[in-house]
Amino acid sequence: TAAEPWPENAVLYQQLKEEQILLSDNASSLAVQAFLQMCSLPIRVVCRANAEYMSPSGKLPFIHVGNQVVSELGPIVQFVKAKGHSLSDGLDEVQKAEMKAYMELVNNMLLTAELYLQWCDDVTVEEITHPRYGSPYPWPLNRILSYQKQWEVRRKMKAIGWAGKTLEQVLEDVDQCCQALSQRLGTQPYFFNKQPTELDALVFGHLFTILTTQLTTDELSEKVKNYSNLTAFCRRIEQQYFEGHDKDSSATVAARSAKRSLLR
Amino acid sequence: MAAPMELSCWGGDWGLPSLHPESLTVMAYAKFSGAPLTVNTINKSWRAPKGDVPVLIAADIVISQPAKILNFLRKQKYNADYELSAKQGADTLAYIALLEEKLLPALLHTFWVEAENYCSVTKPWFASRIPFPLSLYLPGKMSREALNRILLTRGGPPPYSLTEVEAQIYRDAKECLNLLSKRLGTSQFLFGDRPTTLDAFVFGFLAPIYKVCFPRVQLQEHLKQLPNLCRFCDDILTCYFRLTVSGHSPAGQDTADANLQKLTQLVNKESNLIEKMDDNLRKSPQHPPRKLTMLKLAAGGEESSPLNRLSP
Repeated sequence: TAAEPWPENAVLYQQLKEEQILLSDNASSLAVQAFLQMCSLPIRVVCRANAEYMSPSGKLPFIHVGNQVVSELGPIVQFVKAKGHSLSDGLDEVQKAEMKAYMELVNNMLLTAELYLQWCDDVTVEEITHPRYGSPYPWPLNRILSYQKQWEVRRKMKAIGWAGKTLEQVLEDVDQCCQALSQRLGTQPYFFNKQPTELDALVFGHLFTILTTQLTTDELSEKVKNYSNLTAFCRRIEQQYFEGHDKDSSATVAARSAKRSLLR
Repeated sequence: MAAPMELSCWGGDWGLPSLHPESLTVMAYAKFSGAPLTVNTINKSWRAPKGDVPVLIAADIVISQPAKILNFLRKQKYNADYELSAKQGADTLAYIALLEEKLLPALLHTFWVEAENYCSVTKPWFASRIPFPLSLYLPGKMSREALNRILLTRGGPPPYSLTEVEAQIYRDAKECLNLLSKRLGTSQFLFGDRPTTLDAFVFGFLAPIYKVCFPRVQLQEHLKQLPNLCRFCDDILTCYFRLTVSGHSPAGQDTADANLQKLTQLVNKESNLIEKMDDNLRKSPQHPPRKLTMLKLAAGGEESSPLNRLSP
């Protein structure tokens, strides 16, 4: 099956865009979409309320290609590579090591910070997360499911030592991460100069989502806006890979409001 | 800077100053940056460790996680990174994230979850350094926390297969080791020829895998196939910790003393033998008595008896 070419009817599944999807899942979904666009592989985005349960690993997004189902960016990159498409072949060994390290940095700090904000910050949980997460379901199922998810995420935070952090400390970590990304990017168009790689897709997915999602406060997006080369980077990728494409793309619709333009 | 700084952490064995990766990281950083730390290893007579180890105590301030401790040391002007460029500082963060995400789960598994390793090595070692009755409870708790962390960060939703998760984390760890080896190449340290924060973290994670003798050692075997990483660990141990690169003897000082004792006894035996041989030689008629030699022998004979008394 690895030898089969990429079909025309490949589908990406995520939660409902307008009402249900959360910051972290939107970021992950956008990262995968950006990656596939960069590889010039066609993909159709389909929104399902039960996408999380359809996924083989429980994590989103996942893609359905031919008769295979693959979830999360890491395995998807490997799957695509087995089909003969790769963005990082031109890198030498040391650069590949660097790329993987920076991808882990994004997962370790940015994604975890997003999860913390969504599930451990009480104000955000009450006003945004609980209403959105359970929205497709009737009461009391919506409450039960979101409390269950919240418990799971808090357990994980406790295991990795983030449960004791305050929101300020988490925002500090986000700032540190953005500073590292900004310094690494410098004045280049992409992280490895002329050609985008999966790292660019991942960073774009997270930063664009943070910049364009309206939360209870603007503190998170302000941290990213402090670094002008990062906002320019997001704008560049948006223009090159997402504008002019079908209106279903997650990049053209923000999670909460229609505040999508980065040119404020 | 004026206040003396004390670090309490887990002790060492198998030629390492500490078995605990985070303690080792802090100790290495202190050596690299020249910070004067008094290291108190946790032993039975000391007060029981409460939660986070290592812990730095300076005057009235108590700091507990490696990242925070290193930050504090930097603020006290013990900075191993001041020659790094901004990009290298960014790389440091990224590689530390790589270590935590890809290498740490397998390290925790090897120490705390792999049943043979845990029961025959880890548990007895830690239990012997924790006061009773906490020694009955704390190692088990650390083991459960390690498994928890692995499953929550790497396991899928239940029902998951533990063997699949284990296979995946070891694959990731081996890949991480390969990446580190490629990144290090032939340089002495990761950013040239001066050790930095990243070197402290890499050393902290690699040295326990490299040195501790477990029954199940797939990670160690993989590491030993990457000679530049092994050389990296050995270099830091010899240059910064003044520990000889010996493989498998625990309690290095005691064996050194025992070796000295054996050597002394051997020397005594040899000198007695030489005495006897020379006696025979003297008694034989062909050789006229040589006064000088006799004097030397007498001196040798007198010396050997004090040597006998000297053995510790």
